[in-house]
Amino acid sequence: MADQGLEGSQPVDLQKHPSGIVPTLQNIVSTVNLDCKLDLKTIALQARNAEYNPKRFAAVIMRIRDPKTTALIFASGKMVCTGAKSEQQSKLAARKYARIIQKLGFPAKFKDFKIQNIVGSCDVKFPIRLEGLAYSHGAFSSYEPELFPGLIYRMKQPKIVLLIFVSGKIVLTGAKVRDETYTAFENIYPVLTEFRKNQQ
Amino acid sequence: MSKSSPCTYCGEASFIHDDISSELICSSCGGVQHLYSYRQRKLFVAQNLINEVTNPLGLSFKSSDVRSMISTITEGEFGQGEWFKVLIGACIYVVMRKEDRPLPMAEVASTIGIDVYEISRMILRVVDFLNLRPDFPEFDIVHLLERMIRNCSGCASAERNLIERMRKQGMFLIQCAVKWYLSIEWRPVPLVVAVLVFMVELNGVGVGMEELAKEVHARVSTCRARYKELLETLVKVAQVLPWGKDVTVKNIIKNALVGIQYMERNAMLKHGEKREEGLDQATVDLKDVVVECLRNDGEFEYGVDGMSKRKDSRYFMLESNAGRVGGGDSERQQISLECLSVLYKKFLDENNCAESLRGSGSAQKRRILQFDLLDKKLLLKYLLEKDVEVDTMSPSFVNGQLKCKMRRERINASMVRIKRIMHQSNADLADAEIPGTLDGSYPESRRKKRKGMVVDDVDWEDLIIETLVLHQVKEEEIEKGHYNTLLDLHVFNSGIV
Repeated sequence: MADQGLEGSQPVDLQKHPSGIVPTLQNIVSTVNLDCKLDLKTIALQARNAEYNPKRFAAVIMRIRDPKTTALIFASGKMVCTGAKSEQQSKLAARKYARIIQKLGFPAKFKDFKIQNIVGSCDVKFPIRLEGLAYSHGAFSSYEPELFPGLIYRMKQPKIVLLIFVSGKIVLTGAKVRDETYTAFENIYPVLTEFRKNQQ
Repeated sequence: MSKSSPCTYCGEASFIHDDISSELICSSCGGVQHLYSYRQRKLFVAQNLINEVTNPLGLSFKSSDVRSMISTITEGEFGQGEWFKVLIGACIYVVMRKEDRPLPMAEVASTIGIDVYEISRMILRVVDFLNLRPDFPEFDIVHLLERMIRNCSGCASAERNLIERMRKQGMFLIQCAVKWYLSIEWRPVPLVVAVLVFMVELNGVGVGMEELAKEVHARVSTCRARYKELLETLVKVAQVLPWGKDVTVKNIIKNALVGIQYMERNAMLKHGEKREEGLDQATVDLKDVVVECLRNDGEFEYGVDGMSKRKDSRYFMLESNAGRVGGGDSERQQISLECLSVLYKKFLDENNCAESLRGSGSAQKRRILQFDLLDKKLLLKYLLEKDVEVDTMSPSFVNGQLKCKMRRERINASMVRIKRIMHQSNADLADAEIPGTLDGSYPESRRKKRKGMVVDDVDWEDLIIETLVLHQVKEEEIEKGHYNTLLDLHVFNSGIV
């Protein structure tokens, strides 16, 4: 576990990242089952940093500073945790939320923790011809300049959605493990180089 | 006599069944009753709604295609209510898009009276439901320009030849704009408006930007921004002209034809070069062109001796050529050396840069000859610059590069500060070792005053970068600018259990 914190300081593993670019994980979404019914009104009244507006949303919105995350806590005992920057952070945050619920008197447990979504981003450092990419990979691409300036690429294997911008910025979403994000980027990188706009 | 619903004409409820015509007739007024089932009425209303939407868009001829698509989607049930109008609009858009004749979403949305994002969601659902994605044509900005020219009410009074010339010019220019990334960063409709505004100004048609923007439901301010970017790019293009340095945004209209034709000529040259088997032949051709250009005994004309002609080139006629070219020579319209000389002189006169020609006839002749000689040299310079194509990068890419560069400078400055603190005894020596870095790290423009005191140039971003450097985060990671992520991972150590 200690090595996890030093990952950013290590050189890029070219076997794992042939492109030399490692996507940065920006957001982790996870779920956990507290396995008990919750009285949301009580939680909202007693807990700090808790919002509850049943007319708008049927869950308590709770936030903690460290890790800086937001949780959606439902009456059924299900909880969604967002905002973490790594899998470990997400799990730690979920445990902290569960602990808060326990301190409020509920017999909360920590069951079925699962990473549901990982969002990553990176920059390939060259501009991309989106029209050519959309034309060449029409089965996977959706490029609607009237609606969104980026190209939406739905990769089949792994099942990842990529947002590709002319500036060279890439957003990858839909992964459940980080390796899916890395694999998706390595798959798309040769395609992007094919449609790059060369600099003089 | 039988009883049923009241008569649709008089309201009475007594009817007689006509055995001969098999019709139900009111016994009071004699009106013939038409009885429709619920399904028939629903289909009738649906067809009326389809016509109600297609007619204002000028697409009544596509009504049957739209109906067929809706029937497929709803399995013949069609629908009623507001959502159904949205579906009709979406199907209209998809039908036209499938035929490579896209409509602006904003126009369809405006016709129906809904938000553009509402119809866009329905469009995406239709495309997904019908599984059209693999072969769905991409948005065709060129066709959009043609449609705008065709439907422009302000251009209706212009003569037909002028409209056709504008269309050709606009098609060429819009494709250049795509190449210059002017269309890819933003929504396409305002750029089309900008190109059309440029065309009407170039051809002297009296149509304003506000009028054109209103017709396609685009914001005027956005169109003005695209127009400004277009002019700025064209000024860059005009640098290839012999007098390119004198071209500005204000006078680009006057030089647009020549600049665009030069760019087109270069594209033709490149196209011709690709057909050559080897580089030597291209070099020889270029040499021949140069030799022929320097001859004093005749004019040099482009577009001959094997170079392919493009159909569009004849639409960029120059005014000064019109008087000297007869009807039979219109197909061979080219820029001549003399013509270019005249244009250059005209441009200088308009900018009050040229000296007036005075003196005797022989003096005038000598001055003209000198001018021609100078112009030939400029042409020679042009000919030797084979690649004059404007090569622009997308603004977002350029901005991204600048930000990375700025972060790199901040990283270097942070490392210098750290080094200075860690080796305070060698502070002077450290300054001597890297004076350039120090100078670059503390530009005067970054100095600020706060409450009457001159504070250090370090701001919040510098502090964050310094913190990350101290925690041994890779510089490449810091350059990306994802500070929140890096702080969470490496500084607050929240992920380590």
